[in-house]
Amino acid sequence: MRFTLIKDLKKEQGMKNILQFLLFFILLYLTANLLVKAFSFGLTLDSVALTLFGSEENFIDPLSQASFLEYIHTEIFFIMMVSFTLSAVYIRVATKKLINAPLVSLLMLSGLSSILMLGLAYFVTPKAIVFYLGSFYLWNFLLAYMTLYGLWRLFFAKSL
Amino acid sequence: MDFGDSSLQKAYKYSLLYFLLFSFLLLTSSILLFEQKIGFSVGEVLRYYNGNEAQFIPSKSSAGILKIILPHIFGFGIFFMVLLHFLLFTKLRSSKKLKFLIFTTFIVAFLELFSPFLMIAGVTFFASVKLFSFVLLELLMLCLFWLLVKAIVYE
Repeated sequence: MRFTLIKDLKKEQGMKNILQFLLFFILLYLTANLLVKAFSFGLTLDSVALTLFGSEENFIDPLSQASFLEYIHTEIFFIMMVSFTLSAVYIRVATKKLINAPLVSLLMLSGLSSILMLGLAYFVTPKAIVFYLGSFYLWNFLLAYMTLYGLWRLFFAKSL
Repeated sequence: MDFGDSSLQKAYKYSLLYFLLFSFLLLTSSILLFEQKIGFSVGEVLRYYNGNEAQFIPSKSSAGILKIILPHIFGFGIFFMVLLHFLLFTKLRSSKKLKFLIFTTFIVAFLELFSPFLMIAGVTFFASVKLFSFVLLELLMLCLFWLLVKAIVYE
């Protein structure tokens, strides 16, 4: 066994297939994550507010502090791992080297912002839900763009 | 810090810096969770795992503990692998310090995860082990963050 750096991914069919499947699974995660959020946590201002703060009229309890911390702890781990893995693949396969760093920064910052804004909404002011949703949708959009671009490059690029 | 192709260096360094920021948030949320659910004293750790009849707190079962640690076993493994492997791109690459950090981190993580089983088996000393390993693991993470930030900025 000898470990080497792969200079041209196009010539390494095995590695190329692994990365294609990885990106496909990230797309699946993105879709499943949106569906789960839509059904449980909420994807609109009202539904997120209802989940976090409950409603006396509808007899819905607010989210306890322990449950909120458990939720956000898990979110941090997944957002971090997905963003980081995707960035590593994207940087390797993208051609527009100049926009790599800003795009990776934007992806990471939107992920970080969605976590911080959710914490701010729960502990400080419900107004931060707007910024949470804005960051959340931006993170998902960038994730989808970078995944699809990566897949396109892996399938159709002449050299990688 | 060397990631090979110089044109990719900048993007990878940014990526790593953001990963460290996320890791810091993860560390913060874990401290808040520990404080919220368990508490930072040996007595509180014992009460959380072994219960307290006077306060109507049931003790944790092996299955309950296993359910909590199951995602953490995978999470710790992958997280520390990612974090520690970056040190291979630094000047620490073949130093004894790196070997020490790798072994200490994984052994402390193991103790942090599995000490509750011995606690509920009646060995109360492991409440101290749980508390000590949790605090040490957080400090080790801070140490790793610092080493990586230092490598990104100065190497």
